[in-house]
Amino acid sequence: MKHKVSHKDIAKQAEILCPLAVTDLDKVPGYEEKPFKPVKPDWKEKYDFSLDGFSALALTPPATKEAEEELVNKFLRGLEKLFSQESNWTFMQPTSLSTDYCVRCNTCNEACPIYVESGRQDIYRPNYRSELLRKIYQRYFTTEGRLLGGFVGADVELNWRTIYRLAELTYRCTICRRCAATCPVGVDNALMNRELRKLFSQELGIAAEGVHKSGSMRHLQTGSSTGMTPAAFLDTIEFIEDDIEERIGRRIKIPIDKKGADILLIHNAGEYVSWPENPAAFAILLDAAGIDWTLSSESMGYEGVNYGTWYDDFQFARVAVAQVQAAKKLGVRRIVVGECGHATKAIVEIADRVCVGDLAIPREGCLPLLEQIVTSGAIKFDPSKNNFPITLHDPCNMVRLMGIVSPQRNVLKAITPPGCFREMPNAGVMNYCCGGGSGFAVMNSLNFPEWRNNVASRMKANQVLEAFKDCLDPSIPKYYCAPCSNCKGAARDSLMEHYGFRDKYNIIYGGLVELMVNAMVDVEKPFISWEDEF
Amino acid sequence: MGDTLSWLIAGPFMYLAVIVFVAATLKKVITIASMPRHLRWDLYPIAHEGPAGSAFQKVEFWKQPRHISLAHELAEMAEEILLLKRTFLYNRKMWNFSYPMHAGFYLIIGWIGLVKFGAIMELIGGLKISGASTVFWAQALNVVTVIAGAVGLVLGLYGCLGLLWMRYTDEDLKDYSSPITFLNLYLLIALFGIGLAAWLIEDPSFVLARGYAVSLYTFKPITLPPMMTLEVLLFGIFLIYLPFSRMLHFAAKYFFYHNIMWDDEPLVAGGSLEKMIGGYLHYKAQWAAPHLKSGDSWLEQATANPAKPKEDGK
Ligand code: SF4
Ligand code: SF4
Repeated sequence: MKHKVSHKDIAKQAEILCPLAVTDLDKVPGYEEKPFKPVKPDWKEKYDFSLDGFSALALTPPATKEAEEELVNKFLRGLEKLFSQESNWTFMQPTSLSTDYCVRCNTCNEACPIYVESGRQDIYRPNYRSELLRKIYQRYFTTEGRLLGGFVGADVELNWRTIYRLAELTYRCTICRRCAATCPVGVDNALMNRELRKLFSQELGIAAEGVHKSGSMRHLQTGSSTGMTPAAFLDTIEFIEDDIEERIGRRIKIPIDKKGADILLIHNAGEYVSWPENPAAFAILLDAAGIDWTLSSESMGYEGVNYGTWYDDFQFARVAVAQVQAAKKLGVRRIVVGECGHATKAIVEIADRVCVGDLAIPREGCLPLLEQIVTSGAIKFDPSKNNFPITLHDPCNMVRLMGIVSPQRNVLKAITPPGCFREMPNAGVMNYCCGGGSGFAVMNSLNFPEWRNNVASRMKANQVLEAFKDCLDPSIPKYYCAPCSNCKGAARDSLMEHYGFRDKYNIIYGGLVELMVNAMVDVEKPFISWEDEF
Repeated sequence: MGDTLSWLIAGPFMYLAVIVFVAATLKKVITIASMPRHLRWDLYPIAHEGPAGSAFQKVEFWKQPRHISLAHELAEMAEEILLLKRTFLYNRKMWNFSYPMHAGFYLIIGWIGLVKFGAIMELIGGLKISGASTVFWAQALNVVTVIAGAVGLVLGLYGCLGLLWMRYTDEDLKDYSSPITFLNLYLLIALFGIGLAAWLIEDPSFVLARGYAVSLYTFKPITLPPMMTLEVLLFGIFLIYLPFSRMLHFAAKYFFYHNIMWDDEPLVAGGSLEKMIGGYLHYKAQWAAPHLKSGDSWLEQATANPAKPKEDGK
């Protein structure tokens, strides 16, 4: 069912503005829907679930009228700063353009997987939250809004409900920017969403726990968002060396803190914790290709993530600067980021205008390097070893937002037998987000994961099923290649666990380097196994 | 009284409208252009990178010469401007009306150019441009002008009426249509509709329009028949209103594409971009959240670590 919700409704008193139910959602073939669990009474008592029955932020409603007023005032002060050169030089131009020139054509709507898969709920339209921002801005900060009010659209009341629902709404969008790619004007609702997240974080101190407190703050405190300290990192590397020896029958010494190396490789540290076979595969490949590389054990030097990318310019800059400083300390020639989309975009592209002066050390993503390894002939590959259906996920950050489209495809073509690699629908720059983008993959508080798995990842589930539709039989092992740590997190939690793709269809997921090592002539045992617990 | 009013509208008011339009549009454009360079926020494919695609696809991309293909950029721009490519691809229902409306505008802009050109030729050549002219080019100019004007008005009116119909009937669009949206459409409908009526009833060969253009060039404003006077009044109002409305998206679009989505300019050591950013780093950011220090410079805040364990381990 479609729940009709206008912009004005955002302020209204209602237990749940858009009470989402699984019956509202688009179907995933072969998946038996399980109704959403009722919100636990103690959560309900404490936190605000009034947007759609879910909470990503665990916000507690203000207890007094004064507290509400203070909240409203803070919000307005923050909103003003978004349009201030001094406070927001980083994104002021795109923000003001996107505020002023949307022609309200709704073209962006159908591009959004969350809007579409939710059964086209009004509140999830890409432009719903941007329009709220505009309406509030107009009402409080523009002459025409003050004078003409509703006539020019400035008709949204600002109370705690508006603010909390809007805050929650900013965490119902993965900032995948698919909507922006279809806008005829160039308006970017994803940017508007990020700006709103920024306002909440930078002015009101409101951000999802997973991206802020146990994300970028923990990163700045311990050296990694996983909480992994330098000492723990060194232990992990030893474990990976043992693991490599077991897998390929010879020991590789993983270079750590090698001064003056050509490459400092920085992984998303989540790989060490959840998918150590990925850094292991990198080590095997770089070693076999004779590349001069190193990892860093310096705090911030072994963690590639940058959660500020999704919600806070200062947290973003702090992490990026510290990462580059770690590289400088080692005197490496360049930084290469492992298989992590947002980490790559953050340090290679966005930080290009933060890391100035002596911090401007060259930085790049790993996919072109992997392509070079394949095409240079430095390693011998036997494509027949990857003789199973494979499909490729295009991480939004690397593909739509950085234009890295062909290297991963060239690698796959070189290491798989003909007919095994198949594109999923909408492959390339118009691909859909995995559902874990913008921090969703690491946001696990309250009942948010239920929303994420059911709504945000649903389109990806449908895409994967479509790609493998001719071989869904579980007797055929299949591989969903996602060269991005966050996307793998979403694959694990949503595709495998929630939708049951592993058990039902024998689909496993993993990165690109695992497939490369699996095809290496010099590696006898299969590196990828459908028996292992991924 | 009627003549005086017509003279006032066709003369002084029109000059004022043009001045306001040019000045306000320039001011808006300059304001946008002088906003600080923002952090990179590319969206691919970037047209000027051409078939080679993103520089990030190459190993050590910073060593490669930057690939800029003006031809590819112009081709993409032409598709977007002339055909409304994105609307065609992603919102065909709206394109069916939006395209005729935009095409109507383009033709009317072309028509204004042709009328002005004709006026200048009349002034210089001392020859009347009309269907009755014995000079070939004058006759041809007359035909082209009539076609551009008439087709432009019809397409524009059709497109605007269609868009109005969509906004009234499409449930999804209703919520995104405030009274001002309707007002904009009604203004355009009046502009195209009355223009069409004026052409049919008062000036089928645009001889009067050309004469009016001559009068503006020579600063000798004339009076016009009622329908044309009303049309000129509406056009003047439209010109004055345009820079303050979201209809200025035609100019903003340039910045959306070139300054945001396609702004892949890399930072070069010692370059002007680096100097610019260096300046911004001294801005005082006023954000008030606990992990920030309101009033400190950007540089200070970007290098601070609010989570750093204290030296004493607490
Ligand atoms: S953001 Fe773009 S596509 Fe969406 S309504 Fe606005 S102008 Fe249309
Ligand atoms: S960025 Fe992605 S998730 Fe967010 S509104 Fe746009 S299409 Fe939807």
